[in-house]
Order: sequence, then C-alpha cells, then structure tokens
Amino acid sequence: MLAAALFSCATPAFRTARGASQAKGERIVTDEVGRRVKIPAEVHRIVTLAPNLTETVYALGLGDRLVGDTNFCDTPPAAKQKPHVGSPQDPSIEAIAVLHPDLVLATTSINRLDTAVALERAGIPVYTTDPETVNGMLDSITHVADAAGASEQGVALVAQLHARLDGLHARLSERPMVHVLFVVWDQPLTTIGQNTFIADALRYAGAESIILSDRKWPEVNIEEVVRLQPDYIVFTAEHSGAGVTDVAGLRARPVWKDLDAVESGHVANVSEEIVRPSPGLIDVIEQLAHELHPEAFATGSETRRNSESEIRFAFEMKEKHTACAR
Amino acid sequence: MRPLTPRRVFLICLGLCGVLFVAVVISLRLGAYPVSVADIVMTLFNATVHRWDQIPPDFQSIILNIRLPRILLGILVGAALSTAGGGFQALLRNPLADPYVLGVSSGAALGAIISLVVAPHTPGLIQAAAFAGAVATITAVYFLGRRGGQLDSATLLLAGIVTASFLSAAIMFLMTTLSGRDLRGMAFWLMGDLSSPAALDLKWLYFLLVIAVGSIYTTSSDLNLILTGEQEAHHLGVNVHRVKLVVYVASSVLTGLAVSVSGSIGYVGLLVPHVIRMMFGTDYRVLIPASAIGGAILIVVADTLARTVVAPTELPVGAMTAIAGAPVFIYLMRRRVR
Amino acid sequence: MSTPAETGAPLASPVPITAGDNTPRVKVEQASYAYAATGKSAPKFTLGPASFEARQREIVAILGPNASGKSTLLTLLAGLAKPLSGRVEVDGTEVSKLDIRARAQRIALVQQESELLFPLRVWEYVLQGRYPHGRRLRFESEEDCLMAGNALSQVGADALRDRWMDELSGGEKQRVILARALAQRPSLLLLDEPTQHLDIGGKVELLRRLRKLADESRYTVLVVTHELNLAAEFSDRIILLHKGKCLRVGTPAEVYERDLLGEVFEAPLEVEMRPNGRPRVILQGSR
Repeated sequence: MLAAALFSCATPAFRTARGASQAKGERIVTDEVGRRVKIPAEVHRIVTLAPNLTETVYALGLGDRLVGDTNFCDTPPAAKQKPHVGSPQDPSIEAIAVLHPDLVLATTSINRLDTAVALERAGIPVYTTDPETVNGMLDSITHVADAAGASEQGVALVAQLHARLDGLHARLSERPMVHVLFVVWDQPLTTIGQNTFIADALRYAGAESIILSDRKWPEVNIEEVVRLQPDYIVFTAEHSGAGVTDVAGLRARPVWKDLDAVESGHVANVSEEIVRPSPGLIDVIEQLAHELHPEAFATGSETRRNSESEIRFAFEMKEKHTACAR
Repeated sequence: MRPLTPRRVFLICLGLCGVLFVAVVISLRLGAYPVSVADIVMTLFNATVHRWDQIPPDFQSIILNIRLPRILLGILVGAALSTAGGGFQALLRNPLADPYVLGVSSGAALGAIISLVVAPHTPGLIQAAAFAGAVATITAVYFLGRRGGQLDSATLLLAGIVTASFLSAAIMFLMTTLSGRDLRGMAFWLMGDLSSPAALDLKWLYFLLVIAVGSIYTTSSDLNLILTGEQEAHHLGVNVHRVKLVVYVASSVLTGLAVSVSGSIGYVGLLVPHVIRMMFGTDYRVLIPASAIGGAILIVVADTLARTVVAPTELPVGAMTAIAGAPVFIYLMRRRVR
Repeated sequence: MSTPAETGAPLASPVPITAGDNTPRVKVEQASYAYAATGKSAPKFTLGPASFEARQREIVAILGPNASGKSTLLTLLAGLAKPLSGRVEVDGTEVSKLDIRARAQRIALVQQESELLFPLRVWEYVLQGRYPHGRRLRFESEEDCLMAGNALSQVGADALRDRWMDELSGGEKQRVILARALAQRPSLLLLDEPTQHLDIGGKVELLRRLRKLADESRYTVLVVTHELNLAAEFSDRIILLHKGKCLRVGTPAEVYERDLLGEVFEAPLEVEMRPNGRPRVILQGSR
C-alpha cells in the first residue's frame, strides 16, 4: 500500500520533469555518444564532471560560468575553489541538481553512462564527449564551445591549438620516430595500445610505442622490452603506480639497468596531462617533442604555454627532478 | 500454546512498515539540498493526489525525481534480497546460505560485462543483459542440481558453488582482457550501487517482486514442515518437490532482479532473515513478509548513510552493508552456540 | 519334509481377534514390489506376494532379518510406492491411489527424525501434525491446538510442551515425534524400528504406550521391529518376512516356532511359552 502510494507520485513526476521543459529557444543537439540533448538557448551555468572538461571550459574563457566541478579538478587552480559535486565516477546527482546547471559536461573517458542517464531523468541536460584521438579532442572542444554558446571562442582556441600542432608537425615530419615505452603501471608492467588517446598524442610528439597491441592497456613482459630496446622510456610523473621513475632508481633496478635507454639516461617524465584530452595536452606534447627531438628545436625557442592557462610542468632530463604543481 | 495467527503476522508487518516509513522520510530529508519534514510530507501528499502545480519545482526535482526513485529502488532491492535469502536458507538447509551462493550474481555480472564489451553506450542494456545472465545461470544450476529428477539440497549447493566459481573465473578473465574504461563500470556494479536508475519502469519491477514474494509466501507452511525433515514433510502431505521448485525459481528470480539493477549488495540476504528470526521466531509465515520489509529498511538506512557520510562523494551501498553486516554476523554466529 | 520356509506360502490365514471391530482396516492382498524393475535386468529387490489384514486396536509387528523386505512392505503400506501386483487398502481405499494430503490424513509414518535446522518448540512441532487437515497455507485453529494438546497427553508429554526440541532426551523426542503423528488423527500408525536408539526401559515404555493407544484410542499400529520378545509380548499379530517372502502371518504363538525362527534368523533359538500364552525367544546355549 505504502509503496503504491509512493511510486504513484514518483512515476508521473518523471514525465512532467522531462516533458515540461519545452521552453523557447531550446536547441536539440546530438552529443558525441549519440544522445540527444536539450540545451537551453542561453547557457550561464555549467557543471563539469571531469578534469579535462574543467580545463577546457577555462581555456574557452568560460570560467566564470562554471558553477560546479569534481573534487579531482585541479587545473587551473581556480577550479579547486568551485563547489564540488563529488568524484567523476560517482558524483552526487543531488548536488548537481542543486546548482541548477543549464548544461552538464561529461566524458566517456572518466564518467559513467549511468550518471548521464540519472541526470537526464532528473531533467538536467548532459553533453558527453568521446575523444578518441587528439584531433577528436580538438573537435570536442569545438562541440563543447558550441553547446555552451561560445562558438567564437571555440573556433579561436582550436585554431590556435591546431597551429601549434602543425608547427610541431613541420619540425618533426622529416625526423624518424623515436621508439618509446610508455609506462602506465609498474606491477604488472602495463603500457598503451595503438588505439589509445595517449598513443595518438605520442605520435604528435614524434614518438611511437614499441608495443603494438589492439588492447587499450596491454600488459607486457620486461623481457619483451629488453628485446625491443626502446630509445626512450616515458613515465608520467607523481604516479604512485608507476614504480621507479627516475634514472638513478632505474639504474639500480635489475633488468631495467641493462636497457639502452636507461644506460644513456633517456628517461622522460611527463605531466599527467598527457592522458587528459584537454588544451593543456598540447603543451605536454610540445614538451615531450622537445625532449625526444632536441635537434629539431635547436634553432627555435621553447614554446610558451598558453598565457591563459595556469599550468606549470617540468620534466626530468637526465638526473634532474622536478615536481608537477597541482 | 500460542499459535501464529494472521493477526499477529499483520501486526508485525504493520510495525515494520512503520519503521520503514520513518526511514524513508529521514532519507528523503537528508541530502545536499535542505528540505524539512513538513516540505516532504506536503510534497508527497500533493504528488499522491496529483496536484503537481502545488509543488515547487525544486522540490519536485530533488524529492520526487532524485531522492524518491532511489529510495524506491532500494526498497525493491532490499525486499528482494532478504526474501531470496530466507528462501535459499530453507531450500539448501543451510543457515549460512545467501542469495549469491548459487552463482546467480556471478551470472548476472558476466552478462553485464559482455554487454559492456559488445555495446558500451546503450543505456539499459547492461541491466537487461545482467538479468539474462541471471536467468541462464538459474536454469543451468537447476539442471545440474537435480538428483533423480528432483532438486536435492546438497547437490544443488554443490552445483551452485561450482557454477559460481566458474563464472567468477570467466569474469576475471574478461576483466583482464577488457579496456580500462569498461572496468570502471564493472567495479561499481560488483560492489553494489543504487545510483543507477532502473532501466524499466519501477512499476514492472515491483510487480515482479510481489509475484515472486507472493509465491514463496504460499509455500511458507510447507517450508516450516520441510525444515523438520524432507521425508517427514512428505509423509505429512507436503509436495516437497513442487515446493522446492517454486522456492528455487522465485528466490533466484528475486536475486537476479536485485542484482541486475544494483549489482551485488552483500549481507542483506544473509543477515536479515536471521535477525528477523531472532526477533519474531522461525516460522516462515511471518519470516517471509517480515524479512522483506526488514531488508527494505536495511537498504534504505545503508543507502542514506552511503549518500551522506562523506558527501558529496558517495560510497557504494555494498560497502555500508558489509561494514555493518560483518560484526552483526559474527555476533550471530557466537550466539548460535546454544 | 519341506520346511515351512521352502514352500513360501502363508501358513495361516489371518485369525480374527475378538477385541475390536471386525472389518479389517488394512487389507493387503498379494502385494509385491521390486526396485529397479525394468523388465530387462533382474529386479534389485523383491517383496513377494504378501497378504494379511489388520483391524482396529491391533498391533501388528513386522519381523524379519535384515534385507527381508520389511521396509519395502512399510513403504507399500504408507502408499509411498505402488505395488507391482495386488492391492494395499486402508479403510477400503487403495493407498497408492490417494493424493498426498489424503494419504497423510489417514496414515502416519513415524521415522527417526532428522536434525532440525532452526530451533523449534515442542508444541510447534506437534502442531505441524495438523497440516494435512487444512489448506496449504494454513494458520492453526483452536481445534487444531486442542488436538495437538490431546496428542501430547496421549503420549504423556504434557510437561514437555514448552521445551525446545533440541533440548530433549532420546526418549522424550521419541514421544514427541509420536505425538506429532497422533496429531494427524490417522487411522493407521506405521512405525519403522522405533526402538532402535532407546534403552530397554524406553523400549518397553514405547511398546506399552502403543498398546494403550491401540486399546483405548482404537488405532491400528504396524511396527517394523527387530525386537522379537517385545513383539511377542505386545503385538496381536506377527508378520514374518524372509528374503522378500511373507512366510507366516499369525499370532505370536503361531509364528514363533523354533525351527522356523532358527532358519529365518540363522541363529540357534529356543522358544518357550509363558503362562500368559505368549512365547519367549531365548538364545540357545553353546553347549
């Protein structure tokens, strides 16, 4: 009896919530996973559910429209001050609803489909991006900008980023690809597959993973690495699962110390931004390209990071350590 | 000599419903957005009489669209799991049986994984696939668990355990060959999670719940007798074969239902029947309905805690029931030394 | 000269007992049974054609060495299996044709009890005996409680009413199990070696109780037992089985013949008559 009463009021409520919002000036947009999203004409309040989306929003100059993000969103530092809605995997639907967003941004790389469905049921528009490649990421930026009604900024930003990538390509097109082992995880030793975002990013930096696999995160035996002898080993810094990441440490590790790359100190640490489909990625690609192909940049100066973003990176060369500011 | 009367059953259930109602109201009250009890009562009342215009849109959104569906889902899952647990304990003649012991949840998990591999972005597919996996497992274990054409408790238990292990191994295998993005969904699913809305309208799921619990209830007198010995029950006129089949199918369907919508929430099916026994006796005519309501109460409380303890982060419900469940279970085990 | 055992025919026709009704409550006519009777291979075990009758207020003891078909006969009597040939009737109806509830209303089969899964009080246990007499999902009525109470009194277990089943001694449990069977209000009480786990005092007490039940409450009792002397002392009729064949049916005095018993049980036995007309079996000395 109780249950009957309770959900007799709940089920119609679903319908009214969804049906009621046929307001004027609404657009229907198809997002990158094929879902149809009803976005209001003016988007003033945005909630992001992933760090890369937060970064993108700021890069588009829409930081003041951001009313909520996740507790992992740290770039730029201003993002940490925004109200948090929880973790990307399990945000609180209620906390999002309370912020009355006009648009929520999600991405397949870190969010769950269930979250999007739950938000939709609550009558909140969710735009989901699905960046598989670096180019795809640039397209996502355009789509997000369009969805948020900031198409001009989107076009400008993407053009800028494209220009930098083209510049890189110009310098590196003649050079042979550097063969790298990109270490995702230490125990078990895991690297990236051919079809991952990171692999694509690496290619832009003039690097190619020595492991060819269709799986996303293939596990590899250290012996295989010895056999293939990569030119460089690339770690992401400050990542506890990556194990030993500095040259000195590696030189003390059995098997690893005999690798050519370790012996010649060809160990690179890059920021975690490399896994993030966001504008800051271009900075990382450039930095990595500098390290892997120093000869290509002998004449030019180091590319300055985008003055609008507040990210700082460093990466290790030979024996130097630098930490990533978060 | 005071035999169990329908009136006593009714009163016990009424009392438990009262507790459930209080739990629901408290759960509706807690959350990021502040609402008072008065707001809740007014909203619920207006919603029941369909006066939508009287409800402020924020309340409608928060109370009716976000909190209430989740609570209703929790009630469904709690009732399903505890009833199934009570049923399996009788069927398998084992007080330590829980709804997952026969591998139904592993089958559902396997169905879910396969759907994630095949079509990751289709909403609702994962739940349908999970239920299909559960049904397949139920059927397989049934045929393996027969002896002489009839369900035999010991054989059934063995068949279930073997199937569960096999399916778990298959799941492990698939999880290591899957890409990183898909694993994320599975982790939540395996731990038990109420934040995913059910694919089907809750009405149908409740309908299924009522039918399944009802069928088990019709066998509750029979179960009381079967618990004193299957042979004896047979001599007293119980159709043991049919009762076991009904309890098996209904309990498995309930488990499959719960697991498809919320993953494997542990301890509910095991503990609630025992707690109800301690409070109201071992008679199944009261145990079945009381466990159902008791399970609903437990899940509502656990989910409320999961939502609010470290807000805005949400803990998985399964973690809460495990944290609360383990000490209670140990306590119960020690008490059994009578 | 052929021994009684060789001819395999019942040697005595059932003798009507003066006490009680004359219509037989139980009629077994040429009933036989075989396990795994596929027709291709030889059947695993047989009970050859057996015939006897039992009336109200009678205690009939079914005797025989191990694997003589006693349990099979009991199974047929309980209606749990259909005889290969012949009929088994209780109160005029063929038992194997009855549906399971109707059978439970007429016949109570008392076995050694299995272990209880959850704690249960004595009165709850006995009350379960009323199950055959109502709907499937039933709540016991006052009448049911009355009958259960009577059953407990009949076995002298009133004092045990509120005790927990797993706290009872062997003898007490036996009584309670019997009470549950009595709560069924059957026409026929079947017991399968009920004295197995009892000491001699318990055995005598149980048989005395059965005698009283038969005399006062008009039950018909069939007991499968190994206890030759107790059977002789308390039963009205003996059915002697040997290797599936029903060798003899009659009063204890008629059945207990030294040569017959010696051959059936393959033991040196002496039979002596006691003053009350009942025989007693003694083991022969090894002289």
